[in-house]
Amino acid sequence: MRLDSARADQVSALVFFVLGVAMAIGGYTMDRLEVRQIHPASIPGLVPMILGVLLALCAIGLWFGARKRVDGPDPDDVSLQNLGFAGLYTVVYALGLVGRMPFELATFIFIAVFVLHFTFERLAEGLSRLAWIASATIYAAICSAAVSALFRYAFLVRLP
Amino acid sequence: MSILAPYLSALGDFIQPIMLFHVAWATLLGIFIGSLPGLTATMGVALLTTLTYSMDRDAAILVLICMYVGAIYGGSRSAILLNIPGTPASAATALDGYPLAKAGRARYAMALATAGSALGTIVGIVLLVMVAPPLAEAALKFGSFEFFWLAVFGIVISGQLTGGVSPLKGYIAGILGLMVAMVGSEGIHAHVRFSLGYDQLNGGIALISAMVGAFGFAEVLTAISQRKPDLVTHSDKSDRMLPRLVDLWRYKFTILRSGVIGTFVGIIPGVGEDIGAWASYAAAKRTSPERELFGKGSTEGLTAAETGNSAVIPGALIPALTLAVPGSAPAAVLIAALFIHGIRPGPMIMFEQPDFIYSVAAMLTFATIAIGVFGILLTKVFVLVLKVPREYLMPLVFALCVIGPYALTQRPFEIIVMVFFGITGYLLRKMNYPVAPLVLGIILGDLLDKSLRRSLILSDGDLTPFFTRPISAGFALVIFVSVVLSLRPVRRALTGLIGRAAGKAEG
Repeated sequence: MRLDSARADQVSALVFFVLGVAMAIGGYTMDRLEVRQIHPASIPGLVPMILGVLLALCAIGLWFGARKRVDGPDPDDVSLQNLGFAGLYTVVYALGLVGRMPFELATFIFIAVFVLHFTFERLAEGLSRLAWIASATIYAAICSAAVSALFRYAFLVRLP
Repeated sequence: MSILAPYLSALGDFIQPIMLFHVAWATLLGIFIGSLPGLTATMGVALLTTLTYSMDRDAAILVLICMYVGAIYGGSRSAILLNIPGTPASAATALDGYPLAKAGRARYAMALATAGSALGTIVGIVLLVMVAPPLAEAALKFGSFEFFWLAVFGIVISGQLTGGVSPLKGYIAGILGLMVAMVGSEGIHAHVRFSLGYDQLNGGIALISAMVGAFGFAEVLTAISQRKPDLVTHSDKSDRMLPRLVDLWRYKFTILRSGVIGTFVGIIPGVGEDIGAWASYAAAKRTSPERELFGKGSTEGLTAAETGNSAVIPGALIPALTLAVPGSAPAAVLIAALFIHGIRPGPMIMFEQPDFIYSVAAMLTFATIAIGVFGILLTKVFVLVLKVPREYLMPLVFALCVIGPYALTQRPFEIIVMVFFGITGYLLRKMNYPVAPLVLGIILGDLLDKSLRRSLILSDGDLTPFFTRPISAGFALVIFVSVVLSLRPVRRALTGLIGRAAGKAEG
């Protein structure tokens, strides 16, 4: 399904409607702090309630607008394979590798594998396997060391 | 005289070797980031904010402003040479810049873009020092009723102008941003809202982490998933690296008009550089004697677009400094950076830091000089920058996206926030939702929430003052008219009416 299609708008309208209703209910059922005798007009749930209702109304408008819309031609300029790998691998690095091993090592592995994956086609263009691996690993080592040193020694950050 | 003296004094304060060094590297880095498709000014400013924690206040803000100016200008390089705007601000530049490059006049197009950007920023700086102090003074009359309407006004106008054909998507993005701001401890009774049982959410969502995700991570995904563009760099004999003064003189009214339009578009909350460029381009096209050349390689069109987008920068800083309401997405990050470095933007700024507005004007002046110098001297280097393989650049950018937000609080939770906003930002962008209202919503959520509830306490629950206090009534009227005019049936009826009236007049 194209993300800019009328169908995608209808699905997102549904998601936003549910989110809006949930927010409105969350605001309505939120503690009104009667024990602290606050002014009833200043209850913490007031604005969330209003926002929830507004989002639900906008979602209804989006749904009806999408029903009448006809999709234009698909620009088709996105490589789903590249997107899939980049999306998955970046999340694995950020939430999986970082914190489970020294930051320098995690970043080195991430950059090296990323570069190797996206420059694989250069082997077919005549680049030797050794040069391909060496350029990616040297680049990854330099970047990893530079970023880690910058944050550790210049900004005094305790790296994850 | 009262404007000139503090401005000149601020200029003098920055003439130090270390400050000039900061101007040089930050502007250069900004041009580099702006010229690479997929890396935007907002991402640059957000990432660089994480690198300025240990700097002193003036140096940190100087670096961020130079990055902002450099990145908006840098976007013109890829717009001209690749037909892909380096940042959304340069979309209008590509219309005439790329045809000029294809005609063998790439260097001249870049020279005109440099001159246009520099002149646009200068017009904006003049208006900044003239408009910001009286605006801050006027804002002192604002009470919580007015601040509530100001926040609503920002979301509505930003949603409408950035939502493109569908303002509804702009409104939805704005509401989503406001909802994000509802998470965590609220500002009146310190009650924790929507933390879902996670202690990490008690303090709310940090803007920098959200911005690095929505602009940094989302842009890494966008850049890596798109096909590689073709670089056009050939030159013919008429090509040159310096703009002709005669051309600039011929376009003096276009430059002035685009500068003023850009600055005023910048003042409107959350609208940004791309709208400034399009509005300036449209105005130039309407009045130009060579309007048939627009879109086919018009030097006037290129100048108008570049002047317009650069003039937005000082314009966007006017409400950011005086009302704490950002005029653009990078200005939103700048507000967060100001707080980090101990400056409280808002109506009190002229009392607490009376010289700060002039310091910002001086910073913008240095950044303008830097883009002028680099733009003319380093044309060939920027062409090389566009050849940097994104397969090498993007993993490095992502590693910075991970460690930057983490460094803010040294909590791994910030990385989770960054990833969440990155994926959400990518999906919203692909579904044609503008990201600027979302950012504005996160910034303005707290102001809107506190102002509404404070006002209701003051009026004992009565809604009347929201519509009877003069400034509030003005805001309410503008918001009502804007929303009604954005409704499709109303727009259709109005178009019909105008068409019939025009038909009668012709008959």
